[in-house]
Amino acid sequence: MTQDDPATFEQALASLDQVVARLEGGEVGLEEAVTLFEEGQRHLRACRERLAVAQRRIEELTAQGQPAVPQEPGPF
Amino acid sequence: MKRVGSRRVWSVRDVTGALARRLEDIPSLWVEAEVHNLRGQRGQVYFTLRDEHQVDASMNAVVFDRLPAPPRDGSLVHAYGRVEFWAERTQLRMRVERIELAGEGLLVAQMEALRAVLDREGLLAEGRKRRLPLLPRRVGLVTSATGAARDDVLRNLWERFPDGDVVLVDVPVQGDAAAPAIVRALRRLAEIPDVDVVIVTRGGGALEDLMAFNSEEVCRAVAACRAPVVSAVGHERDVTLCDLVADLRVSTPTAAARAVVPDARELAGRLEALELGLIRGLVRARGQAEARLEQRSPGLAAALRAVGTRAESRVATAGDRLAPALARHAERAAAGVHGHEDRMRRAVAVHAREAGVRLSAAAAMLDALGPQRTLARGYAIVRDAATTRPLVDAAALTAGGDVTIQMRDGSAQARITEVQG
Repeated sequence: MTQDDPATFEQALASLDQVVARLEGGEVGLEEAVTLFEEGQRHLRACRERLAVAQRRIEELTAQGQPAVPQEPGPF
Repeated sequence: MKRVGSRRVWSVRDVTGALARRLEDIPSLWVEAEVHNLRGQRGQVYFTLRDEHQVDASMNAVVFDRLPAPPRDGSLVHAYGRVEFWAERTQLRMRVERIELAGEGLLVAQMEALRAVLDREGLLAEGRKRRLPLLPRRVGLVTSATGAARDDVLRNLWERFPDGDVVLVDVPVQGDAAAPAIVRALRRLAEIPDVDVVIVTRGGGALEDLMAFNSEEVCRAVAACRAPVVSAVGHERDVTLCDLVADLRVSTPTAAARAVVPDARELAGRLEALELGLIRGLVRARGQAEARLEQRSPGLAAALRAVGTRAESRVATAGDRLAPALARHAERAAAGVHGHEDRMRRAVAVHAREAGVRLSAAAAMLDALGPQRTLARGYAIVRDAATTRPLVDAAALTAGGDVTIQMRDGSAQARITEVQG
């Protein structure tokens, strides 16, 4: 899995969901809360960096090696 | 024949016999016609073969039942056989030896046969369908560069996710060249590592026009494609084999575009809501820590508050600024103001990070100033013996009540004899 593999984005988002759920669930100590907050910030940054990389463009290709359309044999 | 006066008179049998002799020489031939009024009786299947005219026909029921694609009423067929004349009743009937579906019926039969093969191989199984990525790096698009489907996909894709990156491979979508070109296009896209999802699409058309998407080579190429494939071929009612093999089948090019990219506004809103959740969670954890400290030592809590208030105000400010930003975001459709918002978002992140650092320091201080150090300096903590809650005020004591006195190295049980104050 490379740095910008789509799975990376999805994992970061899923981790972020979990972190926020734990943090919002209450019952975490201050030290743990700070650790979770920082971890969440890291995931958030990863998601936003991935989004910032995207840019609108279109590349048009033809199906490579496409043979010329065969001609019907003529009458002479 | 007999003569009655000047008249020559023939029997019916003479007439039908003469007809039979004339019709004897009709050779076996292929006929293209629709099958109608199909019915079985005593080992034979009877039907009429019809175009503008019609002829009765029959076929051996055993042969008919073994046909790989037996015709139904209305099927267009090619039938091979001989026209026979039944002299006794002056009836003509074509005795059919071979019968095959023709036209659209033939295409449907070919599709059904291929579908059965693909199904046996498991290529249609739900279990092998892959989930589409939430955020593909690049979207592969296999369609005609001049078709309406191309415009539909691009317009909707960019409307939903303005930064969508698309690689389009231009292919003919009907005719003999279509299937091999689509196969090459899929291979071509699979070689581009950033293509995380592929759309194969064309607009509606007659079954014959859609046959490239019912071809074995296209089906196999779709199944073998490295990236998940979304198929949107024809109209709602058209289902091609390509649709069935693909990881996701949708009914229109528009739906395909919506399936492959996330809604950019929704995603940004979700990230902001999560960021707000992080900040809220941290603020609350700090509040809880402070409340716990307050319980144990009001003086220390006050000291800590001074440190914490600054951090809290920063976090609160960040939260206040985020909430209207979220509301603005929901209202706004255009993407032009991203720059401003990014700056704000970064500012919030910086504030929140600073707050985090300060809270870490506060937590360390809480440790350093914890009751153990105080006890070591000669102070004691008086707790209610039953609840173990620290007792801060003399007014909370009653004569005869039991208390626990906590000292540096241990504790003692004691009973109050008198309360003053």
